[in-house]
Amino acid sequence: MKLALEGVGHSFLGRAVFENIDLSLRAGEVVALIGPSGCGKTTVLQIAAGLIEPLRGRVRRAYRRHAVVFQEPRLLPWMTARDNIAYGLRAAGTARGLRNEAAERRAAEVGLHLRDLDKYPAELSGGMRQRAAVARALAVDPDIVFFDEPFTAVDVGLKRVLQDLVIEAAVRDQFSALFVTHDLSEAVRVAHRLVVLAGGSGGLLADRLIEGRPGTRSDREIFGIVEAWSQDAEFRELFDGARESVS
Amino acid sequence: MKALTQRLAFIGWSARYVWSAWAGAAGLFCLAAAWQAGHEFYGSFILPSPLETLQTLSVIIHEPAFVQAAKETAERSLAGFLLAVGFGTTAGAIAGYSFAAMRLMRPIVTVILGVPPIAWIVLALIWFGSTGGSAVMTVVVAALPISFAGGLEGVATRDRALDAMARSFGAGGWMRFRTVTLPHLISYLFPAWTTTAGTAWKITVMAELLSNSGGIGGELATARALFDIPRVMALIVAVVVFALVTEYVLLQPLRDRLERWREAGLPWGIKR
Repeated sequence: MKLALEGVGHSFLGRAVFENIDLSLRAGEVVALIGPSGCGKTTVLQIAAGLIEPLRGRVRRAYRRHAVVFQEPRLLPWMTARDNIAYGLRAAGTARGLRNEAAERRAAEVGLHLRDLDKYPAELSGGMRQRAAVARALAVDPDIVFFDEPFTAVDVGLKRVLQDLVIEAAVRDQFSALFVTHDLSEAVRVAHRLVVLAGGSGGLLADRLIEGRPGTRSDREIFGIVEAWSQDAEFRELFDGARESVS
Repeated sequence: MKALTQRLAFIGWSARYVWSAWAGAAGLFCLAAAWQAGHEFYGSFILPSPLETLQTLSVIIHEPAFVQAAKETAERSLAGFLLAVGFGTTAGAIAGYSFAAMRLMRPIVTVILGVPPIAWIVLALIWFGSTGGSAVMTVVVAALPISFAGGLEGVATRDRALDAMARSFGAGGWMRFRTVTLPHLISYLFPAWTTTAGTAWKITVMAELLSNSGGIGGELATARALFDIPRVMALIVAVVVFALVTEYVLLQPLRDRLERWREAGLPWGIKR
């Protein structure tokens, strides 16, 4: 067990966001966390990544390093792409030569050209920026990567490419991942296991294994799973935004 | 290869920077033309012509007394600038991080801002007498609020999302300050610093003139007493030249070097 959240609950200004969440990540496992918007998915991720302290419950960690890929690229505008990708290594105290080497290798893995590495984020396209953000996370050789709706802002084609990149990297580098998304088909595509968080300060609604391994499921299979689950009572909230807001 | 491209980039940048001086020179010549027109209207006694002034200037820069006075004024304004920038920026940055400190310091700064510099000169005269100290103190007090405001705004508007990113990689407080807050802060500090540099020259000369403590201000007082108007104009031009040199030779190139990333983000056609 790499990471375990035990009985975690949190509230903002006295308003409970969620209660009593138990969630664990095994070595090499990609878990997708899905839920309607505003249900606290990002808060769960931030607690897991140690960015905020939970008010109740505790988090157990059994790994060396983690990395976070945020919804926005969050690159430092005053650093070149190379220095941005090497940022995590710099924080860890790696020597400049080694971290530049690692940055170039990881950049190639996510499909960034060598000549783009001397550019500033403002000179890169949105897709390239998000690739750089993924490379920055991979560069620290993490044991766990936290993805916070990382590909919401990119177009459909690029989204697939980036998802494949993550699936590939997870297999190659053997890291575990918590992948927060609001898109059921994205979750089914990248994850081994799916966890559903309820809206309205509930806890976890469902915890299911997804058939097959990520990267081997065909589009038809993914569509079939999504279609079947969307009829499911436990997933109804995800597709029920319209009705809920009326009542 | 890399060293060569870097050198080429530097040469290109400095050539562009020097070339941009032509536009500045054009602006200054427009001003000189207006000055000449004023001279022809009012005559030499009220407004000496630019040429006369430059001739006087070329004479007085060879006088040892002027060189000594210019050195004194330069030292005083530099000391005042450094102290104002140092204290102001540090206090502003602290206030940006801590809201309690901000609530405590803001009214103090407002009070300092509200007292006219001329009143500070009177106080400084009583405290320091007729020495350089009164000029330095007046500069510090008059210029400190600008740096304070710059430091405060810069730190208070830092990008907290980037800060969270840096924390997620385990970056310590010092590294986060250097890599996340400081580059952002710089863009707030430079306008404050250039204003402070200009203010420092002006206020030093004013304090020197009023406290009779030598320097270019003292020279101005003497020239005024003798009704030597070309000399007065020459001294004014000298101070303006000093202020221009401080801004365009010392501060702007530094800013350009530090903020290269900002230029990279500008679309084609806006690059200057």
